[in-house]
Amino acid sequence: MFWKIKTLKNIVRRSTNNNSANNNSDNQEKAEPIPKSINAVKSKLEDIFSECGDLIFREIVCNSKLKLLVVYFDGFVDKRALNQDVMRPILDHFSNEKPQGKSKRISELIKESIVNNNDIKETENIKQAVDNILSGEALLFIDGEDKALIVGVKAPQGRQVEEPDTEVSLRGPREGFVENLLTNITLLRKRIKNPNLKMEMIELGEQTKTDVCICYIKGIANEQIVQEVRDRLKKIKIDAILDSGYIEQFISDSRISLFPTVGNSEKCDKLAGKLLEGRVAIFCDGTPYVITVPHLLIETIQASEDYYDHAFFTTFLRLLRLLALLVSNLLPSLYVAMVAFHPKIIPFKLMITIAASREGIPFSSFTEAILMTVTFEMLREAGVRMPRPIGQSLSIVGAIVLGEAAVAAGIASNLMVIIISITAICSFVVPPLIRATMLLRFIFLAAANFLGFLGIAFLVVAVFIHLCRLRSFGIPYTAPFSPLTAPDLKDSLVTVPIWAMITRPRVLRPESGDAEAGIKRQEVQIKQ
Amino acid sequence: MINRKDKWFLSTAMLAVLCLAVLFLPGCWNNRDLTEINIVTALGIERSEDGKILVTIQVVEPAAIQSTASGKGKGGGAQPKPVFVLSYEGETVFDALRSMLSQVDKRLFLTTAQVLILGERLSKEGIVEVLDFFQRDHEVNYEMDVLIARDVTPAELLEIENDIDPIPAMYIKKTVENTVSRAKVKRTILIDLIKELSKSGRQPVLGQIAKAGKKVVRTEGTAAFKNGKLIGWLDPYATRGFLFATGKVKSTIVNIPADGGKISMEVIRSNGNVDVKLKNGKPVKLIVKVNLEANIGEYEGERKKVSPDYLHKLEKIFGEEIKKEIGRAINLAQKKYSSDIFGFGEQLHKFHPHYWKKVENNWDDVFSNLPAEIIVNAKIRRTGFIKNPIMKER
Repeated sequence: MFWKIKTLKNIVRRSTNNNSANNNSDNQEKAEPIPKSINAVKSKLEDIFSECGDLIFREIVCNSKLKLLVVYFDGFVDKRALNQDVMRPILDHFSNEKPQGKSKRISELIKESIVNNNDIKETENIKQAVDNILSGEALLFIDGEDKALIVGVKAPQGRQVEEPDTEVSLRGPREGFVENLLTNITLLRKRIKNPNLKMEMIELGEQTKTDVCICYIKGIANEQIVQEVRDRLKKIKIDAILDSGYIEQFISDSRISLFPTVGNSEKCDKLAGKLLEGRVAIFCDGTPYVITVPHLLIETIQASEDYYDHAFFTTFLRLLRLLALLVSNLLPSLYVAMVAFHPKIIPFKLMITIAASREGIPFSSFTEAILMTVTFEMLREAGVRMPRPIGQSLSIVGAIVLGEAAVAAGIASNLMVIIISITAICSFVVPPLIRATMLLRFIFLAAANFLGFLGIAFLVVAVFIHLCRLRSFGIPYTAPFSPLTAPDLKDSLVTVPIWAMITRPRVLRPESGDAEAGIKRQEVQIKQ
Repeated sequence: MINRKDKWFLSTAMLAVLCLAVLFLPGCWNNRDLTEINIVTALGIERSEDGKILVTIQVVEPAAIQSTASGKGKGGGAQPKPVFVLSYEGETVFDALRSMLSQVDKRLFLTTAQVLILGERLSKEGIVEVLDFFQRDHEVNYEMDVLIARDVTPAELLEIENDIDPIPAMYIKKTVENTVSRAKVKRTILIDLIKELSKSGRQPVLGQIAKAGKKVVRTEGTAAFKNGKLIGWLDPYATRGFLFATGKVKSTIVNIPADGGKISMEVIRSNGNVDVKLKNGKPVKLIVKVNLEANIGEYEGERKKVSPDYLHKLEKIFGEEIKKEIGRAINLAQKKYSSDIFGFGEQLHKFHPHYWKKVENNWDDVFSNLPAEIIVNAKIRRTGFIKNPIMKER
């Protein structure tokens, strides 16, 4: 932990140095009030936003005394709303009647009794005004006043809420998060109608000023964890936050571990579940991926459908996923170790089959495995990166390269093709660990080629030691197995039906112990 | 207190030392690919006339096996031979096997050997010496079947190739397995043979293999040993008697004469044990006790109604038949070979160790002169789907 903080401090120092020049000007802006004359305002803003062709200045003269300046970014604000709800009432009001006595300031008058729009605020300094222009509000400056009105007429931006491509479910809600932070928060509020659902907004990124939101349910999430999240987020000093992945890397407990200690999801229902378990979510504007902490190993084999379906199927699927996880890590290396080091343990008939398929292959089984695995990884990567329409031709080429042709040309054996295929299939079963297994597979292969089973065993032990050492926000990564937390085993490899899940996950140290719903459900059953 | 950096360095150093230990401590960690070994499926050992050891190996060509398995019936073109057989003469087994490398391309891999065939001449001169290598070498499969070639050299047997199984060694192994279910051969795997050779009070008995035709082998009968040397053969019936007595019959067909015809009894359960009866501290009688259950498998006798009384009568005849077979085996062991293959001595060793100490060295003589009592308790359980044979209604 000390380690971590130290490095964070270093990063902070570094980024502070980088930005020192900007900071000075920032400070000046902050202190600067809004000039009374709109001409001064205009020249000031033109100065700040020089070469910003999409910034619109609109000057309105209602009568000789009243001059207004509206400033906004083209395309960023909803022009219809601006015209109908803001401009027209103002124009109507001031052109029809004479301004009333000077008892009220014009800005207050506009704010309180003229404008229809209900999102309207006042500001007194240029810095805040600039910030609001940047985040898509329209700014209304009034000649002769040192206050500006911020009118929230942000046009809805980005795509519609749709089903996420990365986390497809057969059963359950299909809504996924979008890039817009407010939309995402709304999606969540829709699911958890509870005032205890807290959203703490902060701003990260010196240049991007990205809105980040810490979300948790007060009373369930452990206060210490929430505080830790706040502290860690506060320490981030960076130019830009373009995706929650930036935050993820800053707040991970282990900087070098292959295993993710921060989870992410695109699905609203999954996130709601995580929050209700006592986790803390971090929303980040501009990305549909919401990250959750603490993230434990067991979560990698959990899926949201698990809770919507019968517990028996879930148990079976969980075991299947565990098997797939092991297979995708170990199968190629086990094969190489068997063929190269321990042919004695292969049953005779199988050995003949293997030997026959290996006959005439110019490479050692290790080289063959590396070749095929690398080819597969390239194919996978190409599949992710390439434009969609090329997909089909790529998959055809891939199938031919990986399958028929490689075997026919005598580059790879039949069996190796099968093994790599099985490994590939299995690696897709546990999506959160795809990256980790991808690298681990190569390390395991190297170990197998070096020492056979012994090497694999050695590495497996090393990986387990590493896993047991990992923490995610103070929670042991391998919980509930190590340390053994008996009540939490209900939702591990073997799952119980949802009505029997009456305690909150103990490993997350919830503020209140039991899930009300579970208990009530039980009572209902007894009454029946 | 150690500071963090030192601690980190220490733990890394420890880990490195442990890794090194792992590298050097284990025994064998050779990286040898499957394509770099010759898969030996059978071994034959015979002593040549000038006293040298002649080792024959049978090696499979995996690719050829695959093509014969998949290309059957396709015809056309010369099929590659699935196996090749190679013999080499050396001073010892190990010597011959190593010297053989001058004639083959890849290292010989012995773990896959399925059968070990010992030649008749070698067996007569003693098998203990050649087995030493098989215990000492780390690559030997202790579960391979050991057989004695009768009237034929191991090399000839290993060269038999037929269409039944592309790998002749597997073919031989399968025939042994089949014959075991007929109780006509004793199956001995290498580890058991090694154990039996080092045990006192029981002489080893090994399965026998002979050539039945140009392309067929027959595994029937057994070879009796005395002090590690082949002393004679047991024919299939004596073999079965021996197996009944030692309780190794799993199932078999016993034909008994009855009603002017024959009845085939299918033995479904059998257990037998041997014992020595002592009187005044001296052995007076050998006892063989066999309990067995059988079904009527086929009836070719005179048409007779099958009644309980009739079955009891059959049981008696059946028992007598078994008794005859056991008697034959005991007679051969006592009078002809003078070798205690049944393990009567072992019983004495177990239950009368003091007496055994005295008699151990000339037990075979003592054994040969003891009268034997054979008790067979045969039961007929079922008669198959029908009770009576086909007969006209009266």
